[in-house]
Amino acid sequence: MFTINCPYCGERDQSEFSNGGEAHVARPKDPSQVSDREWSEYVFIRTNPKGIYYERWVHTHGCKKWFNAVRNTSTDEILKVYKMGETPPPLKEFKNTIKTPSGEPDVGSGNFSVKKP
Amino acid sequence: MTENKIYFKFDGKTYGGNHGDTIAAALLRNNVKLVGRSFKYHRPRGIYTCGIEEPNALVQIVNEHNEPNVRATVKEIYKGMVVKSQNRWPTLKRDIGSINNLLSPIFSAGFYYKTFMGPKGFWKRVYEPLIRRTAGLGKPPKEFKSKSIHLHHNVDIVIVGGGLSGLLAAKKLAGTNYDVLLIERDNVLGGMLNNTKKIKSINDQSTKDWVEKTERLIKNSSNIKVLKNTLVTTYNYSNHLIALEDKSVGKPQSNKNPELVLHKIRTKQTILANGHIERFVSFRNNDLPGVMLAASFEKYINRYGVVPDESPVIFTNNSSTFSLVKLLTDLGYKPKAYVDIRDPKKIEKEISELLKKNNIPLYSKSEIEGCDGNNEVKKVTIRVKKNEAIKVKTSMLCVSGGFNPDIHLFTQSKGLLKWDENLLTFVPNKIFQNTITLGAVSGNFDYEKLTNEIEKKLSIFKNTNDLDIKFDIDGPKKFQIKELWETKHAKRSYWSKSFIDLQNDVTTKDLKQAIQEGFNRIEHLKRFTTNSMGTDQGKISSINALGIVSKILKKNVSEVGTTTYRPPYAPLSFSAIAGRSTYDFYDPKRKTPIHEWHIENNAVFEDVGQWKRPWYFKKYENESMYDAVQRESKQTREAAGILDGSTLGKIEIKGRDALEFVNLIYTNSFTKMKPGFGRYALMLGEDGMVKDDGIVCKITNQHFIVTTTTGGAASVLSHMEEYAQTEWPNMNVYMNSITEQFATFNLSGPKSKLIMSRVFNNVDFSNERFPFMSFKTFDYLDTQIRVLRASFTGEMGYEIYVPPKYALKLWERIFYYSQDIGLVPYGTETMHLLRAEKGYIIVGQETDGTVTPLDLNLNWMIGKNKKDFIGKRSLVRSDTIKEDRKQLVGLIPLDKTYGIEEGQHVIENEEISTPIINPIKMLGHVTSSYFSPTLEHCIAMALIKDGNRKIGTKLFVSTPNHQSIPVEVVKPIFLDPNNERMQI
Repeated sequence: MFTINCPYCGERDQSEFSNGGEAHVARPKDPSQVSDREWSEYVFIRTNPKGIYYERWVHTHGCKKWFNAVRNTSTDEILKVYKMGETPPPLKEFKNTIKTPSGEPDVGSGNFSVKKP
Repeated sequence: MTENKIYFKFDGKTYGGNHGDTIAAALLRNNVKLVGRSFKYHRPRGIYTCGIEEPNALVQIVNEHNEPNVRATVKEIYKGMVVKSQNRWPTLKRDIGSINNLLSPIFSAGFYYKTFMGPKGFWKRVYEPLIRRTAGLGKPPKEFKSKSIHLHHNVDIVIVGGGLSGLLAAKKLAGTNYDVLLIERDNVLGGMLNNTKKIKSINDQSTKDWVEKTERLIKNSSNIKVLKNTLVTTYNYSNHLIALEDKSVGKPQSNKNPELVLHKIRTKQTILANGHIERFVSFRNNDLPGVMLAASFEKYINRYGVVPDESPVIFTNNSSTFSLVKLLTDLGYKPKAYVDIRDPKKIEKEISELLKKNNIPLYSKSEIEGCDGNNEVKKVTIRVKKNEAIKVKTSMLCVSGGFNPDIHLFTQSKGLLKWDENLLTFVPNKIFQNTITLGAVSGNFDYEKLTNEIEKKLSIFKNTNDLDIKFDIDGPKKFQIKELWETKHAKRSYWSKSFIDLQNDVTTKDLKQAIQEGFNRIEHLKRFTTNSMGTDQGKISSINALGIVSKILKKNVSEVGTTTYRPPYAPLSFSAIAGRSTYDFYDPKRKTPIHEWHIENNAVFEDVGQWKRPWYFKKYENESMYDAVQRESKQTREAAGILDGSTLGKIEIKGRDALEFVNLIYTNSFTKMKPGFGRYALMLGEDGMVKDDGIVCKITNQHFIVTTTTGGAASVLSHMEEYAQTEWPNMNVYMNSITEQFATFNLSGPKSKLIMSRVFNNVDFSNERFPFMSFKTFDYLDTQIRVLRASFTGEMGYEIYVPPKYALKLWERIFYYSQDIGLVPYGTETMHLLRAEKGYIIVGQETDGTVTPLDLNLNWMIGKNKKDFIGKRSLVRSDTIKEDRKQLVGLIPLDKTYGIEEGQHVIENEEISTPIINPIKMLGHVTSSYFSPTLEHCIAMALIKDGNRKIGTKLFVSTPNHQSIPVEVVKPIFLDPNNERMQI
């Protein structure tokens, strides 16, 4: 269980929060004007990378505020949190955590405690 | 019998032990070697180790809720303790199950998977009960009483292990500004200093004095807290550690205080100083009672003053056994033989000189082939040359196969390991979290380098103390080892086995066989053979298995890799995990203000989420649910009924943009609705599927009160919050749950208006002044009451909102004024029946997240002129506009004496063919079904494919006993289609 630094309350256990899926998927301004395909991409399609992920969290058992976080999905490291409406930090800010093509750092991910030479 | 002895019972016999003895130490003190039977073959087993790594000596503590699988090598005795051995019948010495051992040729790896395959149904009725009786360890306790609590810590540094390295680290940090927690599994600090005399003195003080002095120093420093008898079981992300403290060590259980404390620790830095564990060697019958690890044997003498045997044979592949020989000879005992696989030139001169001086035969370049004896070791066979073996009579054999750093916690923390060619084991390589490993766990077996290591690794901390430590070491200074996993097995009989996992009865032969069968990946091999899957997790043997496997596969051990180490480090009882969250504290029970009245009136309750809701009310002792529901619903339709609807979710919405917000959240349009009116409203997800329903009441355009379903209250509020915060942050709107601020009663039936005008005699309830779907707020006693005229049942009805404090009084007042009318209280089941008669949907029963409002024929609820609302766009997706989607219809059996069951399939043909050859075409399923006392036949609703166009046709409902009931498809409204009853 990791901790999350709520931008309103400070660092708390993950169990106080709920995950809200990918961040920065904006609801179309006028849904009636978008095609079926565009709409279905908004409703159903999300990316699922191994590595850096921009996602939404809500402090359910706390201030109930929504905010954004950047998490490395392969190590569960929360790299940054920022409030709703703030500009997302650029991906290159986190480049040090991506060490292999799949975005998997050599320590902290996967089940293997001995890496194959 | 002396006064100082502590008496306890083992298998019915009374034994005496010393204060501080573990069960194992006390049994060895009484020369008891046989303590249990093995998991699969029921072989006799003894005490193998002297600590948490014990694979064999597991016992059941009868007087502690019959706690099973307790390690005899850890659990301290106390007066009156009752201990039982496990997995034997009828007695430990004569165990019938041991016939399994003779049948062992058939019990090879994968035996269960391969053997118990058929015939159908045999597993459940024959095999499983049989296996459960003969295999396994202790019996699970029947009663459960949790006496544990959870404690949280937030510290700067945690030191895991209060041994030599941990103490040195603590000494370095004593008096600094760091908040430190030192955790020790044992009830004394000092670790190996208590167990062996490898270090003679520290800074010219005896080790005992040094430990005491250091402990005092730590205790006097205000920044270090010491937890003893506490085992760190888990090392999670974000330096989150879980540790279990045993408060009842050496004491019988108390009814007052918690026995276990689960510490949940957050730390900035973790220092692992949890030492190493000795490993064994596989040879023929290496499981016999009398075989013991060498360091454990030494620990029994140093720590407990118990000499398990005065002249054991010692078998080793490394330099560490020097101290055992020294200890025994200093005490005046003489080992029978010293067997070392190493070349004479490689054996340290300290060892050879000591052996020579004491006239102990040294067999170098030799190995133990096996040992023999009935129920315990009687003699061992030493292979001195390739084809030459000698037999030595002995009652104990001490084995040392080397040491493994205790890397369990380190790998839990996601650190990486590497194979060390000198130590022949895995050592920590790369850290993932803020972890420091010190001493043996870091692969440093060399005491002289310890101070340096600690100074260097702890230099990241500021203003720490300097360590000025000098060790006086007895024996070889450098640890040296030669590879040995298994000795060559000269097969004698079926009884001869060379074990790799003692607890799970896995032999080295099983490993070989599994690899032959293709399980050459270590994770597969582990699961197929169950190697290291016991409660000890192969602590003394799992690296040996890797060694053997690497030899067979002709690979390096590092290529074979390890299996995954998962928490917990050692088993912890469920009661520790549960803490206070048991029985009444497990989940809150939510009760309405009328709850006590319901109990007095024989309500049978149903759990709806955390709420206790009356399901139905028993009028007399043996009234069945069916009879009660028939009576309640009939009486409601004929006179009046009342439902305690306090559990309905209620949300207050306020703000400048409240109207716009409510218009976006619900499908209906509220722009033209007048203040003082409510409307039945639907809420969709963005996918267009029905999410919730309720009534939206407009007080003003800036103030709304909405109701939700009982189960949906929390999720609806968070759904609203999500959109308000993330999609429309500029809207001025606030919402708040007021579920518990108001009790709610639903009064309905033809006589409800009469009752209302009697209860609130100053309010005009005429249809003109109090029209359908309007609400009024008026004074009642010294509070206010809101009444909404709405219909939940298709009858004339009112919904009353009252502050909880006044609720029970008002409820009783309503009954007081209805004595001559026959008002009936009804529960959720009758509510469902009454709603089904009218075709009113229940969210979660008629809907399942795949149903749109159009599928439910609720098109009239959609605000067509609204530009947008959540889910609107999805209602015109290519999938949702299909005309042959599953749609809600009513079903009436053609033979009106028939009933239909909920959940049954609706099918087209009467013939039910064999499903596999000719699959039955399922049209849909029955969502609700009741016997209507008003209509006097069964009514059902169903979601079926292309339902709207099937109205008027004949279909069938299949039953579990292969019948099909012919039904007529009708519109989903059975009673009063023109809604005349609401307007009387």
